[in-house]
Amino acid sequence: MSVIAYLKRELLDRSTLFFIVLALVAGGALWWLQGEEAFEIAATSSGVLVLLIAPIILIAMIISCYVRELIPTAVIERWLGSESGLRGLAVAVLGGAVTPGGPFAAFPLVVGFYRSGASFEICVAYLTSWAVLGLNRVLIWELPFLGFDFVLLRLLISLPLPVIAWMLAKFVTRRRNA
Amino acid sequence: MLSAYITLIVILIFLALVAQRKPEVSHKEILSQAVDNTLPLLIRIPAAILAGSFLAELIPKDYIVALLGEASGVTGIILASLLGGALPGGPMIAFPLLLAMFKAGMGTPQLIALLTGWLLLAFHRIFAYELPMLGTEFVRRRLIVCLPLPLIAGFAAQALGQWL
Repeated sequence: MSVIAYLKRELLDRSTLFFIVLALVAGGALWWLQGEEAFEIAATSSGVLVLLIAPIILIAMIISCYVRELIPTAVIERWLGSESGLRGLAVAVLGGAVTPGGPFAAFPLVVGFYRSGASFEICVAYLTSWAVLGLNRVLIWELPFLGFDFVLLRLLISLPLPVIAWMLAKFVTRRRNA
Repeated sequence: MLSAYITLIVILIFLALVAQRKPEVSHKEILSQAVDNTLPLLIRIPAAILAGSFLAELIPKDYIVALLGEASGVTGIILASLLGGALPGGPMIAFPLLLAMFKAGMGTPQLIALLTGWLLLAFHRIFAYELPMLGTEFVRRRLIVCLPLPLIAGFAAQALGQWL
């Protein structure tokens, strides 16, 4: 496949096109409202971010491909499928809390598991746990900025949230399938 | 960022070593699968990140801080839950903003609702990562599920604060 044909196909992909148009419109609005300098700062910092996270996305994708190859679909379905019950929930909540790195690491892992048989509610429980209980972010950002008392109260309150999300997700899925 | 690199590389090495012991698994095939999965994101993710950071700059941050600075009571919790998703950017932008609001006199339950809203619903993260990788249908269903969670966290914090 030639590079040009590949680019053409990708650029015409509906969701890619959506993001390109959105970037152009938002960038134009920023330039118009806040001037060239604000535009340049935002564009440069995005560029640096892309360069920093591109290898992480690739590594996370390789990991999820290995996981898919090494763990048979039947096992993934047993542990993370729609019948996995509380066992699946526990795995998802623990996994979410310890997954390091930002969204560029967590989302490719979800893509991998979702495609190989993990259920929607398990993916939602994992993402919720990663968001509200993620230890990495708590230690690096929340504790230094907001202090121990606040973090303790927030974590205590957030413990049930992945479970609530899991139950709501099960409910939404069941209604959709009914 | 460095810790993410180190952890993921350690996990990768571990998995590659496990795979090495299974003759039916080909490293080359895994790599080409992963590259195939990543290639479509090479244009989509940079465009999405660019769009997200332009949009984040367009959000009137000072206005949000002023609006929420003294937020209190039930209205404050509801407002904070709704605006959490509008807080722009990654942690390096959001946490200083949260601290500013805390210092401006925002109550703890309201701050918890705001932070939970940002963690679960931040539009920047949804646009830049979740939509391009997981698609509209998944995101739509997850948002329906996660919408009530910041409210639950805020009200739980208030109840717990009165009880303690």
